Amino acid sequence: MSRQERIAVLIEHARNPRRKWAMQDADVAMPGGSPECGGSVVVYLKGDGDGGVSDLSWTGEGDTIGMGATSIVIERVLHERLSMDAVLDLDYDGFVEDLGRDVIGNRTRNATMGLSTLKSAVRKYLKDQRADAPKERTVA
Amino acid sequence: MSEQEIQQKGYVHPEALVTTEWVAEHLGDTENVRIVESDEDVLLYDIGHVPNAVKIDWVEDLNDPITRDYVSAERFAELCEEKGISPDTTVVFYGDKNNWWATYALWVFRLFGHENVLVMDGGRVKWEAEGREMTQDVPSFPRASYPVPTRDDSKIRAFMDEVRAHSERGGALVDVRSPGEYSGELLHMPDYPQEGALRGGHIPGAASVPWARAANEDGTFKSAEELRGIYEGEAGLKEGDDVVVYCRIGERSSHTWFVLTYLLGYENVKNYDGSWTEWGNAVRAPIER
Repeated sequence: MSRQERIAVLIEHARNPRRKWAMQDADVAMPGGSPECGGSVVVYLKGDGDGGVSDLSWTGEGDTIGMGATSIVIERVLHERLSMDAVLDLDYDGFVEDLGRDVIGNRTRNATMGLSTLKSAVRKYLKDQRADAPKERTVA
Repeated sequence: MSEQEIQQKGYVHPEALVTTEWVAEHLGDTENVRIVESDEDVLLYDIGHVPNAVKIDWVEDLNDPITRDYVSAERFAELCEEKGISPDTTVVFYGDKNNWWATYALWVFRLFGHENVLVMDGGRVKWEAEGREMTQDVPSFPRASYPVPTRDDSKIRAFMDEVRAHSERGGALVDVRSPGEYSGELLHMPDYPQEGALRGGHIPGAASVPWARAANEDGTFKSAEELRGIYEGEAGLKEGDDVVVYCRIGERSSHTWFVLTYLLGYENVKNYDGSWTEWGNAVRAPIER
């Protein structure tokens, strides 16, 4: 894709964001954002209890890069049916390359705020799940 | 809105503002006028911009990539030459968010001594709302000649030591961040990650006037009478005051710097661009909550 085509993809996602709503019955609602001025998001995650993602949505405000990239990553995880481990393995640099480094420039924090917030949501889900698991008893 | 209406708003320097109408009439005057878009949202220019406008990105074009400072005088001259701007060019800034970033770019241009700088009142939002022409065509202008200027940080820029002395002697300070940041409840704008400073609060003696209060709903600046009501009536500034303005990194406060300097005519206003990300991290810096 050319630079203009990559920009067009981001703009299309920013203007028609996928799955942009607050999920009422989410297992995790994780806030995040760019410490610069790119915006903020909340990622809503529902797990299937077996290492899979059963539903995702998000809300947020911010610039075209931040909103477009968040929509793209949320759609990708659901479309490719990525597991939680696969989400945690997603590479920030690779994601920026996919979006187009010539488009993102040095706004990498804006571009990755959706992905980093999604990873935080997954970590929180896994941590909560571990905390809820019945503890093994040791018998003296 | 015509130029006459800007005159009627009672500003001390109405000549610092132009209307969208004026810009529309000067789109073809590319020998004398350069229209510059400067946004928070860096893709807005690619989505569409005022015909013949060039883009200046506050991060990539105006900030030094290593040191926390602005670009060197050599780089500034190079940037201007690339954009077809000479020292005599009238540069008209506009952008998103009530011209927040446009006034920041303007402030940096003033640091380098560029004289002819204007703001398009209402910015990008007003231009779009009026249904004016937008284009994705990136203009190309003949390379200009811009002798390397001398940057003067002494007149409109404040550094931490100076701000501390100013605060200690009871000088006028305006904190333009959100009320939550001013009170210390937040370390960043609402909803943003609360990072960037280790401590919250404000510089002792600072008055709180969130920057966007200077703008109307349509992005234009409020009248001088309304602005005086806010900055003098509420915040207690007095004519003749030396004023220091600050925010988190010095961009929101450049908007207030513009308002106080050009619209209300304060002659000695400095923008403390170190702002809260410096003050709120500095060891033993006094903080009020």
